[in-house]
Amino acid sequence: MTAFIIRRLFLLPVVLFGVTLLLFTMVWSLGSDRLISLYISTPEAMKSADAKQRLIEKYGLDQPAIIQYGKWVGNVLRGDLGYSMSSHQPVLEGLLARLPYTLELTIFSLIPVIFVGIWLGVKSGVHHNRPLDQGIRIFAIVGWSLPDFVFGLLILMLFYSQLGWFPPGLYSLATEQAMRMDNWTHYTRMVTFDAILNWRWDIFLDGIRHLVAPVLTLAYLWWAFLLRVTRSSMLDVLSKDYIRTARAKGLSEKVVINKHARRNALIPVITVAGHMVVQLMAGVVIVETIFTRPGIGTFSARAAQQLDYFAIIGFAFFFSLILVIGNLIVDISYALIDPRIRLS
Amino acid sequence: MWRKVLVLTLAVVLVGVAGFGQVKNPDTMIYLPFGSPESLDPHYAYDTSSSQVIFNTYDSLIRYDHSRIDAFLPMISLEVPTVENGLIRDGGKTIEFPLREGVKFHSGNTLTPEDVAWSIKRGILFDRSAGPMKLLIEALSGAEYYGIRDWFEGFSGMAWSDAVTQDRMVKSAEAREKLIAFYNEVVDPIVTVEGNSVVFHLNRSYGPFLFQITHYSSWASIIDSQWAIANGAWDGKADGWWRWNDLHPTETPLHTKVAGSGPYKLVEWDQGNQRIVLERFEDYWQGPAPMKNVIIWGVDEFSTRKAMLLAGDADLINVPNQFIDQFKNIPGIRAVTGFPLASVTNIHMNWGVDPVSEYLGSGKLDGRGIPPDFFTDIHVRRAIIHLINYDAYMEDVLSGLGKMVPTDMPEGYLGYDDTLPKASFNLALAERELKQAWDGKLWEVGFVMPALYNTGNMMRQTGAEMLKVYMESLNPKFKVNVIGLQWATYLAAGNNNLLPLFFIGWSSDYPDPHDFIFTYYHSQGTYSEWRGEPYRQFLRENTDALIEEALFEPDFDRRAELYRTVQEIVIENVVASPLYMPTGIQVMRDWVDGWWYHPMRSPELEFFFLSK
Repeated sequence: MTAFIIRRLFLLPVVLFGVTLLLFTMVWSLGSDRLISLYISTPEAMKSADAKQRLIEKYGLDQPAIIQYGKWVGNVLRGDLGYSMSSHQPVLEGLLARLPYTLELTIFSLIPVIFVGIWLGVKSGVHHNRPLDQGIRIFAIVGWSLPDFVFGLLILMLFYSQLGWFPPGLYSLATEQAMRMDNWTHYTRMVTFDAILNWRWDIFLDGIRHLVAPVLTLAYLWWAFLLRVTRSSMLDVLSKDYIRTARAKGLSEKVVINKHARRNALIPVITVAGHMVVQLMAGVVIVETIFTRPGIGTFSARAAQQLDYFAIIGFAFFFSLILVIGNLIVDISYALIDPRIRLS
Repeated sequence: MWRKVLVLTLAVVLVGVAGFGQVKNPDTMIYLPFGSPESLDPHYAYDTSSSQVIFNTYDSLIRYDHSRIDAFLPMISLEVPTVENGLIRDGGKTIEFPLREGVKFHSGNTLTPEDVAWSIKRGILFDRSAGPMKLLIEALSGAEYYGIRDWFEGFSGMAWSDAVTQDRMVKSAEAREKLIAFYNEVVDPIVTVEGNSVVFHLNRSYGPFLFQITHYSSWASIIDSQWAIANGAWDGKADGWWRWNDLHPTETPLHTKVAGSGPYKLVEWDQGNQRIVLERFEDYWQGPAPMKNVIIWGVDEFSTRKAMLLAGDADLINVPNQFIDQFKNIPGIRAVTGFPLASVTNIHMNWGVDPVSEYLGSGKLDGRGIPPDFFTDIHVRRAIIHLINYDAYMEDVLSGLGKMVPTDMPEGYLGYDDTLPKASFNLALAERELKQAWDGKLWEVGFVMPALYNTGNMMRQTGAEMLKVYMESLNPKFKVNVIGLQWATYLAAGNNNLLPLFFIGWSSDYPDPHDFIFTYYHSQGTYSEWRGEPYRQFLRENTDALIEEALFEPDFDRRAELYRTVQEIVIENVVASPLYMPTGIQVMRDWVDGWWYHPMRSPELEFFFLSK
């Protein structure tokens, strides 16, 4: 196990190098005339005759990609991922400031996704081809087919515009003011977790209130996925000999399902769920935009729109790091859950 | 057990929901634009989001008189300089501003004439690439220079790159000497302190000068020099000033901090959340603002902005033109429309496209493309401006939020004359012109021509599509390809003279005709660069001298006459091809009081005047 972990960790720099070099080369191949647009959002900025040349020289846009990449790597080793013109701050600072918001949304989305998704999947598998199964499958297909921006906007209109229950953003004005008081400490930058640590249940509730709509949007889209995996796994397990044996022993159907079938059916589900954490973090762009949550999704989307190359590459670097470590944790947990699996 | 947990959780959430319903914010004005500031440094910022904060946190010497663009009021200056009151002297070269006493900065420091002088000089020396300081440098140098580096080179005869390294280190003792001399002999004397006045000494009388230093020209904000120097800004000395030239945002202490004397103080700029929080400055010299707090929150998704306005969680929001109909007849919502904006969008025809351009097709008049000099033929240009159905465009595309103007200059500017001929939709005239174009050959062989716009700009795209429909209706041999390019590609292609016919606009930096007339109709204007050498040659021969004369002419009537003459020339020769001048919209809750527009500010807001 230890050797496996070390080997995977050694792979990390190779992955990061490959990803960033590829991106850097792609971006730089656009040429200085296109890269310069990052610094010129309107034609008015080009009024002085030397504006273009000064920008090219200032940002080294006329230098070969490999030289710029070498400089960038040198800066990365000093903890500097460059400056993001789209978010108006250093890339690393921007990513670290936004990560807690995405993480919080992901964590809160995972809870209903996993529990409800698995529960529905088990129910669907147990009631195979019966009305309940059909109903759940239709529910899943609808969720899987709905574009996230459509469903998100519907949720926003219904629960905020019509009912006034779940507003967008991270917190209310009252919470914002409370968080600026001296007695408030930012431990994690996640509103709900900080609220608990500051022992402020009113702020915790406010944070939850702002999380419900985006969580519901994300959850519905992902329920379908997890439900289908659980259902397939459940159907597979229910056809195994040991299930037949358990039933033959006279065990109640509840015990057969809960103790024998469900537990074994969850092994592949856990693997999928592990990868889903990473996928969820990557897939929150639209949801963050609709519900005005400033996570790394909106950071990357804005960077891509504006050809903010340092932010794009920095995001890829950062996300590759999360992806590799996330996958490693999933692989390890898989081996821990199922002793039959050996990591080699 | 799990059921109990579930029930308890639901109960907690519902209590929370009930407890936080219908929050009212009587002390806080909340405005939802999109995007966020580039920088809060007045000498770096050159975008509307940044200006929005700077307008409200910094003061200037003078300000516009309410919505007018041709009259000023005193601000930090006690008087608006005029020839009559003796504060404009020496034929417009000396301009004095006697300062108000007892004005406090947010830091508690008292505003002095030295702060004003330092602010102007710091801005000139800062001059970031593609930033706003070119405007002030143009004014102060008598329109000889647009950048501090050029100015230094002109003064010293030494190239900037020979004097200062990329890391802003001086290269030699000789260079240091010249840099210091440049400051002492050129920059320092520009603004002097005389008693409690600051006096500007211009190289030449410069018509738009007062526009350049008025409020809403964020680069002319007055900065608390004591605070700024203590926090790492330029130290006010001649030796070493180049180390503060063209700084990166992270290198200036004013990027995320405010050192002004305006009606609001900066509490927080949450860059991730695109949220600016301002708090009333109780010691403001005009008295405290009505609203205690202001939140400017960049919400990029329009549907979310709308939902928050309808719910009463936002007081004012930014609304794109195409959505204005959604706010008509909604109780509690007020939509103000139709006020003029200092901007024009136009159809540009390039008279000398680079022959390597991929948008020329065959590059010949053979029915499969167009030659690089296609638009040098005045018949083609005349036909193009007759192929836009302007009335339908204003009504259907702009939802009535636009107006046709005679040339590429907004309504209300000095020299603007609504009686000058405007382009009109006339298919018969277009056909007649095209039959004459290129000695009749064009009608015989036809052409394939592009109409380019930047992707995402629906107004420009629709204009291009309209041109295509009407052009192709005239002759089956005429083909127009509507092509959208990403902004990066569009900009690069424009700069490299590759776009034959394209749609783009210009927004005003200051409300003087020079800003538009020079940009479009002077051979060194920004868009002249995009329209080929034959175009520039035409301007050199016909309009350059008039524009230069107008710039330095102190007499307003004479200036107006000169600009009118330029407009007559460009109309007659179809050099001008405006598509529309946009008019503004502002959507707000009906409890917002005190809102008024200004062409140079809108859609940004001045919160000092707002209450609810």
